[in-house]
Order: sequence, then structure tokens, then C-alpha cells
Amino acid sequence: MKISGSKPDAPAVAGVLGLDQTDLYSCVACGLCLPHCPTYRVTGADTHSPRGRIALMQVLDEGKTSLTTEIVEAFDTCIQCRGCETACPGDVPFGALMEASKEVIETTDRQTPWWLKTALRTITYPRLLRFGSSAVALAQRLRLLPPAFRGIPQRMPINRQQLQSSGDDVWLFTGCVMDAWQRNTHFATQQVIEATGISVRLSGDGAPCCGALHTHAGLGRQARKLANRVVSALPGDNPVLVNSAGCGAAMKSYGTLLNTAEARAFSARVLDIHEWLAERLNSLKPSNIAEHRQPPIKKRVAVQDPCHLRHVQGTHGAVREVLQPFVSELVDLDDDGMCCGAGGAFSALQPQLAAEVRNLKIAAINRANADLVVSANPGCAMYLAAGGVDVCHPMELIAQALNDG
Amino acid sequence: MTTPDLTTQDLLRARRTIQDPVLLEFAAEVGSSDPIVMVGGNTQSHLGGVADPNARSLRAPSGIVKYQPDEMTVCVRAATPVSELHAALSEHGQRTSLPDGTNLQGAVSSTVGGVIAVGRSPVTRLKDGHVRDAVLQLRYVAADGALVTAGGPTVKNVSGFDLCRIMVGSLGTLGCIADVILRTRPINRHERWLKMVDADPKAVLNNAKTAAAILWDGTVVWAQLVGHQADIESDQARLPTSSSALPPKLPPFRWSRRPKDLYQIGSEAGRFVAEIGVGVVHCEQPDPQGGKLSANVEALNRRVRDLFDPHRRFNPGRSVELL
Amino acid sequence: MKLRRLTKRNHQNSTNNDPCAADLQATLGDQRVHTDSAARHLASTDASIFTGGAAGIVCYPSTTEQVQAIMAVAIKHDRAVLPRGAGSGLSGGAAPLGNPIVVSTTRMNRVLEVDLEDRLAWVQPGVINLDLSKQTSPFGFHFAPDPSSQQVCTIGGNVANNSGGPHCLAYGVTSSHILALEVVLSSGEIVELGGLDSEPTGYDLRGAFVGSEGMFGITTKIAVRLTPNPESVKTLMLSFDTVTDAAATVSAVIASGLVPAAIEMLDRNCVAAVESFVHAGFPTDAAAVLIIEVDGLSAGVSADATKVAEVAQTHGATVRVAANEDERALWWKGRKSAFGAIARVAPDYYLHDTVVPRSKLVEVLEAVYEIAQRYDLTMLNVFHAGDGNLHPLMAYNSRQAGANERVAAASREILELSLAVGGVLSGEHGIGVEKRDFMTDQFTSADLAQQALLRTAFDPFCRLNPGKVLPAAHSCADIATLSAAHADGVWG
Ligand SMILES: Cc1cc2nc3c(=O)[nH]c(=O)nc-3n(C[C@H](O)[C@H](O)[C@H](O)COP(=O)(O)OP(=O)(O)OC[C@H]3O[C@@H](n4cnc5c(N)ncnc54)[C@H](O)[C@@H]3O)c2cc1C
Ligand code: SF4
Ligand code: SF4
Repeated sequence: MKISGSKPDAPAVAGVLGLDQTDLYSCVACGLCLPHCPTYRVTGADTHSPRGRIALMQVLDEGKTSLTTEIVEAFDTCIQCRGCETACPGDVPFGALMEASKEVIETTDRQTPWWLKTALRTITYPRLLRFGSSAVALAQRLRLLPPAFRGIPQRMPINRQQLQSSGDDVWLFTGCVMDAWQRNTHFATQQVIEATGISVRLSGDGAPCCGALHTHAGLGRQARKLANRVVSALPGDNPVLVNSAGCGAAMKSYGTLLNTAEARAFSARVLDIHEWLAERLNSLKPSNIAEHRQPPIKKRVAVQDPCHLRHVQGTHGAVREVLQPFVSELVDLDDDGMCCGAGGAFSALQPQLAAEVRNLKIAAINRANADLVVSANPGCAMYLAAGGVDVCHPMELIAQALNDG
Repeated sequence: MTTPDLTTQDLLRARRTIQDPVLLEFAAEVGSSDPIVMVGGNTQSHLGGVADPNARSLRAPSGIVKYQPDEMTVCVRAATPVSELHAALSEHGQRTSLPDGTNLQGAVSSTVGGVIAVGRSPVTRLKDGHVRDAVLQLRYVAADGALVTAGGPTVKNVSGFDLCRIMVGSLGTLGCIADVILRTRPINRHERWLKMVDADPKAVLNNAKTAAAILWDGTVVWAQLVGHQADIESDQARLPTSSSALPPKLPPFRWSRRPKDLYQIGSEAGRFVAEIGVGVVHCEQPDPQGGKLSANVEALNRRVRDLFDPHRRFNPGRSVELL
Repeated sequence: MKLRRLTKRNHQNSTNNDPCAADLQATLGDQRVHTDSAARHLASTDASIFTGGAAGIVCYPSTTEQVQAIMAVAIKHDRAVLPRGAGSGLSGGAAPLGNPIVVSTTRMNRVLEVDLEDRLAWVQPGVINLDLSKQTSPFGFHFAPDPSSQQVCTIGGNVANNSGGPHCLAYGVTSSHILALEVVLSSGEIVELGGLDSEPTGYDLRGAFVGSEGMFGITTKIAVRLTPNPESVKTLMLSFDTVTDAAATVSAVIASGLVPAAIEMLDRNCVAAVESFVHAGFPTDAAAVLIIEVDGLSAGVSADATKVAEVAQTHGATVRVAANEDERALWWKGRKSAFGAIARVAPDYYLHDTVVPRSKLVEVLEAVYEIAQRYDLTMLNVFHAGDGNLHPLMAYNSRQAGANERVAAASREILELSLAVGGVLSGEHGIGVEKRDFMTDQFTSADLAQQALLRTAFDPFCRLNPGKVLPAAHSCADIATLSAAHADGVWG
């Protein structure tokens, strides 16, 4: 019997993966993160757990092993939802460790399938994405096809008009996938912003994609390229509002990704639409908020927290705050913000595992006994809808309430 | 840097060496060869079969060894009557969860060792829990004559395998209990026995939140309520009309049932008093379904006895299956 | 050094030509039998700092029959078997010696039956402790043992370690809450121990099994008692200027005839680590904090809470009462995150689990701080004070030369000190491999011989989790089972 980790005076310099040594060894292996990890919940395997993945990073970094199929699989099956990060009492920066590891693995051994790479390239060309039939095929592959295409009814009519800027008080980031498939969310968002008396400037095709999916896939170079593009396309000091939790999280971390003063200044301007609105609820037209004794939307609405809102941005509370005045009954799910399985491109890469993760989420939704689910991330919304869940974006619900009122 | 601290080492050694002359003498008396029958208060000696009349009969030592009211523990020798123990503890407002007959009519002079060997809990199990949970440490003489310590003196302990649990309820077939350390608890602040005629026992169970015991004989429900006065009173207000009364006298035999099966007990039981929420039924005859074990479990029981007492020295003729 | 690329060769792994693995795969299917080095490496440790052997093969059964089938294969190939729950154990109980077949219960995670009338639930062993309580809570019941790891640990692990938790002060440890167990023995037989009736026949084999640390059998189905949720709860946070005052308050509260639901202590270092995670308003300037909870019926609870506050104030405490359920939950979250929060202090920790008489708390705590200082270790204390169950925790960096040796030496002193004042080695984490060789400090060889008999009755083959709990001289044929060399293909 020996005490593990006896590595007398191991060098503090970076190992094979080049990971920050303090971060890498900050995990005390207590396991408190395990039940908050969707993949561990589904398979029960330590190789699919945060604690296990960190331990594998350690053996790789120490050069004790080369890559094996199973190690690569352990990393590929990580949704990068960062549920483990919020659960960890020790503040282990799992997300950063995983992103850095994935980038080294990706450059050592091509992991990303050709079709995902093509897709990831395509989403940086908005026009191609909007009109190209190949884009539809790819989106199908990506499981990013909007519910409308699958006969799932929409709550709001798809507004076929072009989105149009109304001024330049704030930027509204319209992104790639979402702009193409969920334009109604943007209309709703714009409408709500304008109801507070603020004018909206759309980010447009100059800032085609936030690069989050590229970072997750370990395609760091492309991610940094896209980030630079976004930063320069949205100049000035005005807030940059984002209604996709995944994009918002990525843009808030440009500062660290690009490590320039300009990027840090940009990241500081980025706000999730809900956190922005929570500060201005009172400026929504009074008739729409104060005079209603009864909230206009008489439904039991369950809030599904997108991981990148709850675990990364930590602004999920704002979603409840902004919905409260408009909805008669808001309920939380009982799964502590567990991932829904969408995970950007994850549901396309690991369809079976993703579907099992989604089943857990659907079970939680059923336990909540709600009429409707809101999700502040279009990727999650679409993935849940594809699983038969009645779901919309919080902004759509508020816009509807404002219209009805 | 591991120079042994002499005083610590001395203390450790002292701790492991049993010096109590009474225990050493008892161990010598038990010896290591001939058959032995342990006698306690003789209140339950009819249980588990009849002991071999040729075996040498032996009485364990008695007396309170060490009572630490602040630790809420007491070390007591096996032949001490429970009533005597409780009388001493009551001076500090404490008692143990061992049954002492005070809650029921008729005096019982059972001994601590006897109660533990039989392992049966008092009718107040709803609040007091199981007898086995009150036993922290138990010293006994093993079949080879060695004095053995099971468990430990503290209120919480998982050091090693739980020999205490296997000794409680073993009818003295695995070793001769010499002394025990028991957990004590505060005496109930208030307690009262009530009687409810024609009440639904299930409803009493669901409503009487302060109940330590709920007894039912098919028509009458008795309940002992314990705790804070105001809580007892609000309980009583929720219950059917009741009058204060002493608990019923219990028939001698015990049947073991699932709590929810008690309500179906019919005439086959004769006169009975059932412990609602617990599952014990006190009857006039032995349990027709008693003592059945699956073949695998029976074999495991036998293996335990074979290993602990290969020559059947202890209480020959009695066995836990006949309990 | 550079990362080497994935090669064909890496697809293979060392146990692929292990006939035992092949048999297991044939019986259970590939999905349930993992032989790769990654899986085996990760099943080689639990939450403690101990490693010895390595998992030989890792299996993921879902049913009792599959566990029985694994045992049959193990018998055929004469292999050791180690049950594993969530791997949150702190004594190396689930860290294999030799290279056994590890049976992970994480897929045996179904609540099979909830019987509210008899207040019990049948669960599979891999059900997570907190999940069960969450599921039964809407009906007004919970599973009372609440280890601080309850969000992750399994009920099978709780049974095997006879786990405790803050609320076990009033409600009793796991053993008091287990009614019956279905167990697969090392012979492959299935037995049901205990029962749902009030006084099951025979020896209390259920009680003997609880706390057997995976060495008596694999439990595959557990009937647990459900406890009604208390009608009323009051939680007090008491802060003190000295650890001595806090410890004296613990004794005084107990001596006053109260039995609170929980009495937990956190010292200054621990409060600092915890507060920066939960932001619950723990007083970071206090030398020690007690969390005392009283529960039950409303009249009793308010009377008891008042009395606790009075007693504490005479010992100089500043008293706060949790304003609402949210605040109470946050305080408990803080308490229960304490070990993990150590990651903010140092990359490794090692803690003890001794129990000492409550009246010795002050003396022992002072000595413990002194020991830590002498060995230049950061010491944090967070523990179940009401039971006298200490968790002196040393935070250190194992990558620093000599650190492990200092920790080991300090540990020995802490253990011996606790025993010398009349305490015991472990209150709830179990002996495992960690304290195995200290067992002779608490027990005589006659005591250990009797414990070994119990093991032999259940597992005459010493097939299950060999080499744990009992020191070498008392562990029957364990040594033979362990003789197989350290498996290839797993990184040490
Ligand atoms: C942060 C933290 C806090 C903790 N707090 C507490 C606490 O307050 N109180 C406490 O008592 N413990 C505590 N622990 C220790 C640990 O969580 C408990 O011992 C827990 O019961 C272990 O459960 P597990 O499922 O992780 O078991 P494992 O660690 O996987 O296994 C523990 C032992 O159980 C055996 N085992 C597992 N499943 C079975 C089975 N089905 N059949 C037979 N044997 C089996 C294993 O062989 C092993 O010997 C804590 C641990 C951590 C990391
Ligand atoms: S990021 Fe999500 S999937 Fe990955 S280890 Fe953490 S919790 Fe699990
Ligand atoms: S990541 Fe955090 S929660 Fe998970 S095992 Fe490591 S220290 Fe514990």
C-alpha cells in the first residue's frame, strides 16, 4: 500500500498537454461533481465523469500513456456543459482544462469528423447557411434543424420579414445558426428591447459566428479567428446583447481566448439579454407590467437553464426575474441545472449518449408537470423540441405577453 | 520522526489489556472446555428451546462499572438487573432503551445481559429504537476462553466488523457476555398512556406524532405519548376521545409480522396485543409461522455458530431459530 | 515530451487475452465489461489518497442475476471481487489490492419499491443517497443517514461502511435504517438477511453485514427504513472566539439533556474555505463555528432551540438562527462541501475519522493543532462534534518533497492520541486499507480473531475485497488472493 501521487518534487513546468499545473492538480478527487455530470449519470462509468476525465488528463500530461481509443472517447463524450464546475466546491476550472486538452488532442490526432468541419465552416458564411440546400443537409446531420421542419407547431408565426436595425443604443448579436433558423427569437428579443425605449442595432453578417462550437471541438485557431472578426465588427462602447446562452458565454470569454486589451474590453460589454433586461424591467411600458394584477400568461412554465447560462455565465437567476411579472406560475426543474444533451454539436457527434441525457431532462420536465418549457438557448430549445417538448425562448413569451397586453 | 511517545504507548497497551479482576475471574470460570448455560433474570429462559440440564450453569458478574452522564454512556456488568441500572441512571435524568418492565404492568427483573442476549426491544420501539442500537461495546468470553472486546466505548464507531450486532439476540450461543457499554438517553420530559376504545389503530399511528408505543388488542388502542407537553396535547387533540389508562398486560409469546399485516390478525391468534407501527404481536401461543429460514440463510446461521462455538459449549440445546 | 498519436496498437489492451474477461464479456456483453487501461486506472482509487493494486476488469451489472453471473466467472477463474459504489470512500475501501474484478454498482440505480404504509423502500445498491430522499420527500419521508457526501455516495456504499452523517446524532447511523438486504455471497449464493417483519429469525446477519466494507458479500437489493420529515426545524449558527468555547458548548448542550438533530463544528480555516464557495455569511472572523439543528414537533423544537441558544451564550457564542429554508439549505451546503472546498487550500488532503469521548474534545483538538504545527501542515477541522467524531484534516501538496512522510507521521500521532484518551479508530469512514495496520492498536489479537471468524462465515474463500480491515495476521487466505502481480497496462 502506498499513498498515491507520491511524486517528490515533480516539476512545476507544464507537461505533455501543456496544462496549468496548479489547475490540473487542484482536484482533490472528492467526487462531489459526479452526480452533476450528465454523462456519468447516464453510463455510471468513471471514464465519463469529471473526476475521471481530470485523472486522465493527469496521466496524459505526465506522459504515462499515449492516447488510446478509450481516453479519446472519454474526452469526446464530455459535453463541456461545465455542470461539474458549478458543483465543485474547490473551484477546479474544468472547462479551461478540457478546452486546452481537446485542442492538443485535436492537433495530435484529427478527431473532428469531416462533416462537422464542413458544417463549422459553413456556419461562418451566413448567406450560404440561409439559402444553401447543402446547409439544410448539414444542419440535418447536426440535428440543428428547427422544429418547423419536422412538423412541430410553432407558437409564434415565423416572421418572414427581414430583421432591421432601429438605432444604435445596443447591439443585438444575431449569430449564425440562430439567425438562420430562429429568426422569430430575434424578432421577439428586438421587440422586448424596444419596449424599454432602447433602439437596437443588429450585428449582421460582419459578425457571422461566435466560434463557441469551434472551441468545443478543439479547433482553437478558427475560434480565435472568428472571435477577432466579431470584436472588430461590433465597435464602440455600447452593450452587446446576446440571446443565445452559448454565444454569450463564448463572447464573454474572448478576453481570455484572445488575451488582448481590446478583447477584454469587448467581453466586458457582452451581456446576456436577461441580465440586461432584469435591470430595466421597470422601463418596460408600465401598462405592460405594473397594471397587470394577473400575469398575462396563465401557464405553468418550467425554466430549463442552459448550461452556458447557469454554469458558465451564472446569470440564470435573471431569466426568472424577467419572466416573473408575465407568467402565472414559474417552476424550477429538480435536476440542479443538468445539461439537456444538446451541447452545441454534441448531439450530432454522440447522438445516442445525447439522447439518453435528454431523456433524463425530459423526465425532470415531466416531474415538474409544466404546460410549457422556456430555454434561453436556441440549441437546447431545438434539441428539446425534437424530443417532443413544448419549448420556447423566454423572449418569445415576454413578447407575446406584451402583444397580448 | 517516529520516536514513540512512551506515555501514549503505555496508554494504548493498558487500554487493550483487560485488568478488571472481576472479568478475569469470570473468564477463568467460563474456561475453555465444558458446556455452559448462562442464567440471567430467568425471565425469558423458555426462549429458544430448553438448555441441556447437564451443562454447568453460570451467572455473569453484576454491578455498574462506570457511569458517565455527560458522555451519555454507562458500562455495566451483564447480570445487573435493568431496573437497578435504570434506578441509578434516573438520578441524572437518564435511562437506556432496554426494556425494564416499568412501562408495563408487573415487575420484571430481567438482567442487562439477558435482555441483550434475547435482543428484544421494549414496546416503546417507535421512539426508543431497537435494543441493538443501544449497545456500544460488549465484552464476552469466547468459546476458547478468551476475553473479547466487540465494538468500542464511544457513541459512534465503525472500527472493524460489527461483532456487537451478532451478539445481540444470539441467545448466548456465541459467547458469554461479561459487561457492556450502553448508550443512555434523557428520560422523557413528559409521558402519558392513553386508552381509546374502538379506535382505528392505523389512524392513531398516522396522527400520534409523539407516540412511543401504540398497542392494539382488536378493539382497544393504547398509546404512550412522550415529549414536550404542548406537543403531546396537540397530538391528543388530533386523536379520538381517550382516557388515561395503564397499558395492557402482554401475553407471553411474540409473533413477528410486517407492521401493515397487523390489522388482519384474526381469531387464530387468540387474545393478542399488537405493537402498531412495529409489527410485534404478543400472543398466548407460539407463532405458528415462526423460526422459518431459507436454506441458504439457515446454512449461514449454522456457519456462524460452528465458527464461534465449534463444540457447542454455550447454551447447548438452545438456538436462535427456535427463538 | 509530446503527446503520442493514437495508434492501432493502442486499441488493444492488456486484458484482452484474459480468459476471465472473455467469459465476462460472453456472459454480460461488451458494454458491461471494461478491460481498457483508462477504466481500470480510474477504478483503482476512491476519494482517499490510497492506491495499491489496480482494477483487473471493471463490470457494470444492472441486476442481481448479473452480479451472480460475475461471481460465477470469478469462482471459475479464482479471481478476487471488489464491489464499488460511487468511489467516494475515504479509507481506501474501494481501492483494489491485487487486481480484482471490480463490480461497479452505478447502473444498479433503480428505486424498486416505495411502501409508505410500512415506511420503507427497496432500492438497488447504486441508488445515490440524496436521490432517494429527493424522491420520497414529496410524500413526507426521507432516508435519515446523510453523509456529507450524500449527493454522490450510494446506499450500497453506506451499508458497506455503516456511514454516518450530521443528522445521525439523533437518528442513528446507517445500521439503524436498514431492514433487509439481498446479498450475493462469494459462493454465488443469494441470501436475504434481516426482514421486513419486526423480529426476523436467526442471528442479526443484517447487522453483521452492515459495515463489512465489501468483504462479506455484494448487496444487490436493500430495504431501507424511511423517516418522516420533521414537522419543524430550527438551525442555529453559533460563532466563538476560541475552539475551546465551542467544544465546551458541545458538552454542555449534551449534558443539558437535549438531543439535537445535529451538532457540527467548523474551525476558522475551514470556514474560510467554505465561505468562499457558498457565500452563506459564515463568520470568517470566528475561531470556530457550530451548526446546531433541532427538529421534531413545533413546541419541543422552539423550547430546545431557546435552550441551545442560552447554553451557547453562557459560553460566549454569537447566535444566529437560519431565517428560512433557503438560508438553512445554504448553511448545510457549506458544511457538506467542506472536504471538496479544501481544493482551494491545497491539492491534496488527508483526514482522520477518530471518535473521542465528548469530554476530551478540547484536549484532543488542542493536541491535534499542536501536532499539525510540529509537522508544518495546514490543519482544518470540520466534524460531527455532537458524537465526538473528529475529522482533523491536513491539507498539503503531495508533490512537495517529504510532504507524504510528514502527513503519515502526523497521522500516526493523531490516531494514537485518540485511542489513548479512550477513543476509536473510525467513526464512520471505515478501516479500509488506511487504518488496517492500526487495528492492533485498538484491538487484541483475540478480538481480531473473532472479527475474522465473522468474515469467514460469510466469505470462507476470502474472495471479496481481500486485504482490507484486518491486519495480515488475521486475514485468512487474503494473502493468497492478492499474490497475483500488479496488472500490466495500468499506469501507477
Ligand atoms: C466530501 C466527502 C464527505 C463525506 N462525508 C461523510 C460523512 O459525513 N459520513 C460518512 O460516513 N462518510 C462520509 N464520506 C465517506 C463516503 O462518502 C462514505 O463512506 C460512503 O458511504 C461511500 O459510498 P460510495 O458509494 O462512494 O462507496 P465506495 O467508496 O465506492 O465504496 C465504499 C466501500 O463500500 C463497498 N461497497 C460499495 N458498494 C457495495 C455493495 N453493493 N455491496 C457491498 N459492498 C459495497 C466497497 O467495496 C468499499 O469497501 C465522505 C466522503 C467525501 C468524499
Ligand atoms: S463538462 Fe459536463 S459532461 Fe463534461 S465532465 Fe463536466 S459535467 Fe460532465
Ligand atoms: S472536480 Fe471538484 S468536485 Fe470534482 S472531484 Fe475534483 S475537487 Fe471534487
